[in-house]
Amino acid sequence: MGLISGIVMGMMFGIGLMAGWKHMMEYRNKKRLAKAIDVRSLSSLNRDDLKKICGETFPCWISFPVYEQVKWLNKQLSKLWPFIADAAEAIIRESVEPLLEDYRPPGISSLKFSELSLGNVAPKIEGIRVQSLKEGQITMDIDLRWGGDPSIILAVGAAVVASIPIQLKDLQVFTVVRAIFQLADEIPCISAVVVALLAEPKPRIDYTLKAVGGSLTAIPGLSDMINDTVTSIVTDMLQWPHRIVVPIGGIPVDTSDLELKPVGKLTVTVVKASGLKNMELIGKSDPYVVLHIRPLFKVRTKVIDNNLNPVWNEKFELIAEDKETQSLIFEVYDEDIGDDKKLGTVKLPLIDLQPEVSKELELRLLPQLDMLKIKDKKDRGILTIQVFYHEFNKEEQLAAHEEEKRMLEAKKKLKEQGVVGSTMDAVDSAASAVGSGIGAGANIVGSGLGAVGSGLSRAGQFMGRTITRQSGLPRGSVSNIQITEENGAAKLHSM
Amino acid sequence: MGFLSVILGFCGFGVGISTGMVLGYYLFIYFQPCDVKDPVIRPLVEQDSQSLLRLLPEIPLWVKNPDYDRIDWLNKFLEVMWPYLDKAICKTAKNIATPIIAEQIPKYKIESVEFETLTLGSLPPTFQGMKVYLTEEKELIMEPSLKWAGNPNVIIAVKAFGLKATVQVVDLQVFAQPRITLKPLVPSFPCFAKILVSLMEKPHVDFGLKLAGADLMSIPGLYRFVQELIKDQVANMYLWPKTLEVQILDPTKAMKKPVGILHVKVLRALKLRKKDLLGASDPYVKLKLTETKAPSKKTTVKHKNLNPEWNEEFSMVVKDPETQALELHVYDWEQIGKHEKMGMNVVPLKELPPDEPKNMTLDLLKTIDPSDVQNDKLRGQIVVELTYKPFKEEDLPKDIENPSAVQKAPEGTPPGGGVLVVTVHEAQDVEGKHHTNPYVRIIFRGEERKTKQIKKSRDPRWEEEFTFMLEEPPLKDKLHVEVLSTSTRIGLLHPKETLGYVDISLADVISNKRINEKFHLIDSKNGRIQIELQWQTS
Repeated sequence: MGLISGIVMGMMFGIGLMAGWKHMMEYRNKKRLAKAIDVRSLSSLNRDDLKKICGETFPCWISFPVYEQVKWLNKQLSKLWPFIADAAEAIIRESVEPLLEDYRPPGISSLKFSELSLGNVAPKIEGIRVQSLKEGQITMDIDLRWGGDPSIILAVGAAVVASIPIQLKDLQVFTVVRAIFQLADEIPCISAVVVALLAEPKPRIDYTLKAVGGSLTAIPGLSDMINDTVTSIVTDMLQWPHRIVVPIGGIPVDTSDLELKPVGKLTVTVVKASGLKNMELIGKSDPYVVLHIRPLFKVRTKVIDNNLNPVWNEKFELIAEDKETQSLIFEVYDEDIGDDKKLGTVKLPLIDLQPEVSKELELRLLPQLDMLKIKDKKDRGILTIQVFYHEFNKEEQLAAHEEEKRMLEAKKKLKEQGVVGSTMDAVDSAASAVGSGIGAGANIVGSGLGAVGSGLSRAGQFMGRTITRQSGLPRGSVSNIQITEENGAAKLHSM
Repeated sequence: MGFLSVILGFCGFGVGISTGMVLGYYLFIYFQPCDVKDPVIRPLVEQDSQSLLRLLPEIPLWVKNPDYDRIDWLNKFLEVMWPYLDKAICKTAKNIATPIIAEQIPKYKIESVEFETLTLGSLPPTFQGMKVYLTEEKELIMEPSLKWAGNPNVIIAVKAFGLKATVQVVDLQVFAQPRITLKPLVPSFPCFAKILVSLMEKPHVDFGLKLAGADLMSIPGLYRFVQELIKDQVANMYLWPKTLEVQILDPTKAMKKPVGILHVKVLRALKLRKKDLLGASDPYVKLKLTETKAPSKKTTVKHKNLNPEWNEEFSMVVKDPETQALELHVYDWEQIGKHEKMGMNVVPLKELPPDEPKNMTLDLLKTIDPSDVQNDKLRGQIVVELTYKPFKEEDLPKDIENPSAVQKAPEGTPPGGGVLVVTVHEAQDVEGKHHTNPYVRIIFRGEERKTKQIKKSRDPRWEEEFTFMLEEPPLKDKLHVEVLSTSTRIGLLHPKETLGYVDISLADVISNKRINEKFHLIDSKNGRIQIELQWQTS
């Protein structure tokens, strides 16, 4: 009796104990889970959430800007800056100096840093935004502002003058840096970082040039040359969609997807223009059109003399690398003695184009692309064009890639010739003291091309079929050397 | 009889309880699923006030405290990265654990131990605020508030004597407030040499530990005990001021401290090429070490001599013998105009045997580029004797371990006395009426020292050190620190200006041995200067 009741009681007790344990397990499990969920949902709060939690006592030190503020990072950065500056100086010198040397405009025999120190003022990170726009990628936008006091002195040597130290003063950089992290399954989990400056808002890099113990006018068009070198380095290397791909060590991955590649071919026929503005006192304007997707690879039509309704009917082929963000830009100029005047310009975003459909478009010319700066609403005329966008398939893309490699080789050779040729130009223009800014700028484009390829083979991919090199010669006779890629070989045309 | 039945009852109870427990185990626990589900997260706005109330203790610190910064962008970053991190960490953990297990199991007669599942779950760690502290020392201090309430699932299967047992760890939760100190800061990337981590409070740790499906941690009392045990263990190791140290860079290298001295004896040059139109050249030699900012050294000028004999000796401080090189330039001295280059050569220091004089006869080149055609021309030769003397171990400064510690005074210090070391670091917001080219003048007992001048800077950095040898502690003395500015233009108008001054009483320095502070400047609007003072005694 005692045994049985003992067993029964024991069993009941044992089962009860287990049931209790199970209950405890469930209770604790639930509690932990609830906490996990709470912590998780509190890790990214927005304004409404916080309002709901805090109710009336919404803390006034909290705001929710698009770019999240990082005061702590700025504090650390300003403390760390002297050390970063010290460490970065050597690296900048090493990496930028060959680039400068490559980009060096003709007429300048050497371009080096004679002094480079980044100063005591640290850049400020205005905000950081993290997005995941694509599977396996993290996009981080950093709003960076730097009104620093760096001391950068460039030693500019020219054929005619020994060496002028040029100081870059009052450097100010306002830009949004986009860093895309490509994720991987191995530690450190990031296989590559893509860095670019966002095109919208446009990066602003301001500085003033000052000659130390000399005059800027010693070399004609020098400040234009330097400005153009800086702009072309920035817009054609760093500004989105151009990018720098940095593979993170340790993981062998294919980063070619991240690099900028040709995605399509744009066949543009500049048909005609009508109702252009007359810019000349005697006679009418002598219009021609310059069009480009990337500023480095510009093509231009012939000049039609004395005509406000010119018909060109010229066909061009341009390569697009990023249909989403790139645009085709037309600029109509009036050929003139000295500087050519701009008659109007218009932008055609590539995203508006449908692939494989030929389309005739009439575009209204504007005085300037920047809508904020347009003052008058006067009609500038209409440009009629025909466009056909062809999207590359895999093979064509590969072929274009191969062709590009050959192009780069050809450009390298051309650069050497170009330098020899254009140094003469520079001497010429220095002697006659008529240095056209545009000419000088275009010279950089020509000679810089090889540099782009060689200096940046790791930094990004460069495409372009057609290069126009202009050199401003005295007496207004503009000589054009157009290098057109035909069947993969570079030919020289003199127009 | 009653006694027997009681005994039997107890026995029955004993048997019953074990059967009951086994039954209950199979009834309630064994069939419980042991996989971990992803929790469903509802947006906060949809939740009722009850669950919101439960949230209150977990409100992130950045909401509560204005001195904490929100780092939700980092949370987002982690969130996207987490699946990849999870895979990577688990893979690495398995790779590390497998050989260790393989080595250990024969000792315990266990057949095999393996991970049945290993995942860190879908919930990433979150940072609920970040606080940074600014000090005058060369260090960065930050305190993130880290909360990881994850849903990892780790099942370890142990096989022994033909039986299989599983141990499962679920729902790991770690809340901690680590203090991360990066120091010392060094001028080469990543700009710090060490990471020090210590915990400011005992961390909160919670998890479920399932042995054969039953969660041991839910036995009342046991959880608390285990939690306390873990907390104490961790606290013993890492609770502030105890730290976990991770070395990133070798501080000696990173700090670019001198490691040796190079003695250069410029003996002579042979068959130099004539450069002057009239008469022979006037050669002299310029010596420079690469990667240093130290000024180059020059020999005397030997007038009208193409085979000059100098026999002059120089010594230079070497910081990195692996990468540095000695550059020798021969110039032609001119009374007027630019000194013309006669040739150059470079000797990498790694080619020199330590502590051994080496005689070298070097061809003079136009440039260092070996492919330069102009190098084929004969420019003459230069003969030098180079000796590289690396510092012995005991010569090396030992303050690397703790840069803020006060060093011993050097030998020769009078007993009872010591050395006062004044380091002028930097100043902020100094501004002159007419010009701001600040330099610092230090006056101590009539002795005057000056830093170099920094041109056009409101926030100058000098980083200069001055030492004063003293017979006795300067208990009653004051140190006068003055920021001055001189005009860069030559002119009588406003040649010199005082941007502010401060008098520092040295008694505090003697008692504290070391003071590193920002002082507000007197006679200045908003200027501050950072001065470090050390009293070194033997």
